[in-house]
Amino acid sequence: MDRDGAIYLLFSLVVPIIVFAALSSFGGGVYTLIAVALNLITLLLIVGMNWADFIIFPFITSLLGVSFQPAANYKITKQQNAVVKEVNGLYYATGYLTANLYSYTFKAESAEEDDQYKMIAAPETWERIVSNIGFPMKFHVVAAGLDIQKVRDDLEGRRGYQEFQLARAMQGSNPEVAVTDIQRKINMVQAKIDRIAQGERPIAALMYIETSAVGISEKEALDGLGFQADQIKVTFSSMDLSINRIAGRELYYLFRYNFALPSHYGEMAQSFDTQG
Amino acid sequence: MNQKAVTFVMLLIASFAFVGIAAATPVSLLPGYGKIVLLLIGLALDFLAFTSRYYSYLLGPMIRQRSRPVVLSKENAYWLSPSSDSVMKKDGATFVSTVYVSIPVYSSATEMSDEQKLNFVNQVSRLVSTAKDPTRFTTQLYVMNKDAAIQTIRAAMNETETEEARLMQTNAKQSEVERAKGKSSMWRGMMDNISTVTSYELFSYACISATGVKEFEASSIAQQKAKELMASIGATFGVSPSIVTGTELLKLVEPEYLIPVSTMHEKINKDIQEEVI
Repeated sequence: MDRDGAIYLLFSLVVPIIVFAALSSFGGGVYTLIAVALNLITLLLIVGMNWADFIIFPFITSLLGVSFQPAANYKITKQQNAVVKEVNGLYYATGYLTANLYSYTFKAESAEEDDQYKMIAAPETWERIVSNIGFPMKFHVVAAGLDIQKVRDDLEGRRGYQEFQLARAMQGSNPEVAVTDIQRKINMVQAKIDRIAQGERPIAALMYIETSAVGISEKEALDGLGFQADQIKVTFSSMDLSINRIAGRELYYLFRYNFALPSHYGEMAQSFDTQG
Repeated sequence: MNQKAVTFVMLLIASFAFVGIAAATPVSLLPGYGKIVLLLIGLALDFLAFTSRYYSYLLGPMIRQRSRPVVLSKENAYWLSPSSDSVMKKDGATFVSTVYVSIPVYSSATEMSDEQKLNFVNQVSRLVSTAKDPTRFTTQLYVMNKDAAIQTIRAAMNETETEEARLMQTNAKQSEVERAKGKSSMWRGMMDNISTVTSYELFSYACISATGVKEFEASSIAQQKAKELMASIGATFGVSPSIVTGTELLKLVEPEYLIPVSTMHEKINKDIQEEVI
């Protein structure tokens, strides 16, 4: 959780704490019990919202039947997992799925044999997916450069800590396994430092899949989208990825990314911290 | 203080007020059920205050409008710049311009050795890591627009059917009538085939945005950034990328260009006909 998140959580929890402290002032007897129950529900909702807002808030809007218009001609459904557009009597439903491909594309350290095999197989697996998928989709990678000095300082700090751990492990009774493991970690950190020294920029990346389905009614388009999302999960399983349907605020931000990207990494990181 | 923080503080103050009144008012003035109602409102406001961290963009319009659908914006999602080479959007007082750059890489993994595949993956990795400002790299699979082909076939079909009817009315030679019938059936067969099979195209591109207080400022900064991006793409893959413009640009942002309307209408009609038969 970032600093902002901690502040929001802390201040929001003050109210339930006050209610617990003043329980006797709510009428006594059954009223106190009701106050306890309401307070507990609020506490649970706030804590739940902190960890899984993409489940709780879409559930609430779904319950209330509230859909949204993010721009002219577009509609975000009440489940907040699709954007629908109507054009000449046809409905286009667009949905987004997470797809973290780090192990395939971003090698920050020397590849293990298994990883190298995966990387060699990746282009062919990708081509097989594209030729078999049979509906429109987009694979997006949003990348943003990080502050080189900050990342380097962080890596050097980590290397120092690992070297300290190594020194301690060398003095232990059974150092063999621990030493090898720590040395591997040091090598990984060192490889990252070397890459930065060679001029490569450290980046933060956000990867997701977008797919659109068409239908003569909104329901048909949404059903089609659901089918396509399931199909993507199955098809991309050959790449050993964790793919989840995106809902809630992240869907809204991804929709906006179609027309304008954020101006800096901080904005991007604030918008996406849960479902990726 | 930004809008999000203001919403949070206001909701939190309201929550404190309701809970405070519920707790501090004596039972003689406010009975137990009244206190519970105030407490419920106070706790709901507290929950909304926390929710505003993530959903401030929804909460304000939801509370103000109380209608469905909740309108977050009535404006168009974007507009094209006069030169049709960037997508423009207004975000508060600033303009955001987004430029799309094609990545014309046509190599296939089936023709590559293991070493070449590994190199290719590393090239992709290197390209992505050249991004300084947020940059989006995309590969999209979209339905081929067959509108032009459908129009041509439909025109040819009409022409041959008219010719066939004319020949039959003028008692022309049997062989000529047969030829016209054959031509007509050939075009009909092509029409059936084109609307049955959905063909796809694959396109890779990158996009980058820039902001400015004036439309032209945002646009020129985005163009400059796009040129730097094109240089990176060119240096990494040894290809000549270009800025995507006009209708090609719409294919990258609008779902109806991703799945062309008339091509889909033709396919839907065909499916309905098949179901009826």
